[in-house]
Amino acid sequence: MKYHLIQLGCQMNISDGERVRKVIEEMGFVRTEKEEEAQLLGVIACSVRQKGIDKVYTMVNRWNKWKNNRSLITFVSGCVLPSDRERFLKLFDLVFPMSELPSFHEMIHQYGIVTAAGLQPLDKGLEDLQTEKIAEATNEAFVLMPVDTPVNANKNSVLRPDKGIDEFWNITPQYQSTFEAFIPIQNGCNKFCTFCAVPYTRGREVSRPSGDIIDELKRLVGSGYKSITLLGQNVNSYGLDRKGEELSFAQLLEAIGQYGEESVKDFWVYFTSPHPRDMVREVIEVITKYKCLAKQIHLPIQSGDNGMLIRMNRKHSVEKYREIIHNIKKLIPEATLFTDIIVGFTGETEEEFENTRRIMDEFKYNMAYIAQYSPRPGAASSRWNDDVPKSVKKERYHILTEDLMKHSLEYNRKLIGKTVKVLVRGKDRKTGFLSALTEGKIIVRFPSDDEGLIGEFVNVKITSAVPFSTEGVLVLQAVKEMSKTVIR
Amino acid sequence: MNNNNKYRLQAIRHLTESTYILEVERRGMEFEAGQHILLGEPVNIHKREYSIYSGTGDENLEILVKEVEDGLVSKQLKNLQKGDMLEIEGPLGFFSIDPKWTSQKRKFLFVASGTGISPFHSMIKSLPGLDYQILHGVRFAKEAYEKDSYDSHRYVLCTSRDDNGDFHGRVTDYIKEHEFDKDTVCYFCGNFNMIREAMSLLEKKGIPPGQLHAEVYF
Repeated sequence: MKYHLIQLGCQMNISDGERVRKVIEEMGFVRTEKEEEAQLLGVIACSVRQKGIDKVYTMVNRWNKWKNNRSLITFVSGCVLPSDRERFLKLFDLVFPMSELPSFHEMIHQYGIVTAAGLQPLDKGLEDLQTEKIAEATNEAFVLMPVDTPVNANKNSVLRPDKGIDEFWNITPQYQSTFEAFIPIQNGCNKFCTFCAVPYTRGREVSRPSGDIIDELKRLVGSGYKSITLLGQNVNSYGLDRKGEELSFAQLLEAIGQYGEESVKDFWVYFTSPHPRDMVREVIEVITKYKCLAKQIHLPIQSGDNGMLIRMNRKHSVEKYREIIHNIKKLIPEATLFTDIIVGFTGETEEEFENTRRIMDEFKYNMAYIAQYSPRPGAASSRWNDDVPKSVKKERYHILTEDLMKHSLEYNRKLIGKTVKVLVRGKDRKTGFLSALTEGKIIVRFPSDDEGLIGEFVNVKITSAVPFSTEGVLVLQAVKEMSKTVIR
Repeated sequence: MNNNNKYRLQAIRHLTESTYILEVERRGMEFEAGQHILLGEPVNIHKREYSIYSGTGDENLEILVKEVEDGLVSKQLKNLQKGDMLEIEGPLGFFSIDPKWTSQKRKFLFVASGTGISPFHSMIKSLPGLDYQILHGVRFAKEAYEKDSYDSHRYVLCTSRDDNGDFHGRVTDYIKEHEFDKDTVCYFCGNFNMIREAMSLLEKKGIPPGQLHAEVYF
């Protein structure tokens, strides 16, 4: 029997999806990219924008129509606002927070299905299931209740997204790559930025036990993974919910760094996304100490104007952010710097936008993920008037992108003539080229048809640069430590 | 039912037609003065953030709530009766007094609009001996919520729509007309426009940005 899983949204959802796949496949389901041939249909939802949630409604309505002719089960998990969850209960067979994934087998079992083979095309043997269970399920979803909830208790009770999260984290993921992986280390958010719905979909900050994180990292490194990203909505808030009982984020990085020193393997460890409020100097200091801790920092600023930062409830000022960047540039001068910026947030004046342009010029980011503001359902700002016209947002987006391109090009040009170590990630869109990333996540393309290089570190001499990427040639003499494929 | 987040309502004190204080059992919750909680009825999927009004030494948790027209939480909370259950998550937030400021015996300026006085009420109750001045901005003097809780020499009621307060005008007008020591540590709580203007005024008066702390109400 086949399953089809749709993943919407961020890296965290992708990472969650790897665990969902593992659980489903262990039940005997086989993945299919064609939803028409699947008997189990699932979606990992994202509430960052209304568009993402609208997609979920479109999908489930389509799937529910198919139920007239086929027996199938639908489920939804991921980032779902309480109000959408209420509606999903009527549309999906299963609605559960990710922390309840370990019980997925039991949920499916409620439908009388013990193994994947139990979901057969509609025939007499399944008529009962069809009429009694699935038909009923289209009207009322099966919802996992907190463990101490009596059976038949109020099914509309708000689910706790952080309940059982440790058990969820302990599921070995079905990694989608053989050389790049995410490790979730923290879930939820206590910051309540006004533009963001995460505190309402993922709940409060919960840290994963450091021992489990390090075990997962060691397993990955041992299996040859070379780029590992520690994930969390506020990744550097790690440990704050368990102060005194658990490592701090800096201590966790220290432990990973020490393992990197002992290991014979070569790998880079990244983390995303940190919050400036918790970006303490110790974190920067520990990155300087260890080779495996990648010299790339993604530090969202969102706006370069103090007034906007207050309105966004960011809990830091431009001055505080500047102090962090100053420390990064002083202690890790080679580090590349990435950020997130929102333009056209409610009430953003020309002057406030100009302040954001100023910080773009001051910090000279290598990359900025610039978003034109759109209200996110459930977030505090969705209750405000979205008063910056679309055309102005678009214009500001283009202006800021041009500023960014200037700084990116300036940096990339300095790489010309240098030989850099890169991790080859795949074939490039440009025929006959492979695409790779430096430790600082600068894109490097180089001519090669050798797909055996994918997932390997190689050295490339940079020959040209454009904004956001560079081109180079493979440096063969520096690859003696690599596999035979590389040397030939 | 899972009762970890359920708290029993002990009483409601109505201060004005639209503003009231919920007294909720504390059940040992530890918090820092200035922090907030996420609050709502268990049956309501909507929850809202509210600053804790009571002091850290008080038996019950107190929450100052202003009823919002078409609000999804505040209107419903107003109709609760003693003994009803509330769902609370927290404490949350970082709007609290850094002990380094108190150990340096700094002067504090608290600037609030409306129910933004809530965290300052908690701070003043929790930290006796605090050298503070509090500016409370409201439209009418009747909105001075429990003003007797504050030392009258330290409390300035700024009323913008009547002149029955201590100062007729907005808190920002008061700031414009007065001088403050440059080492004063300033905390702001309330609506965004007030905070933004007040911060900017105080910065212009020479108070360094590192001494300005804000909690915005939305």
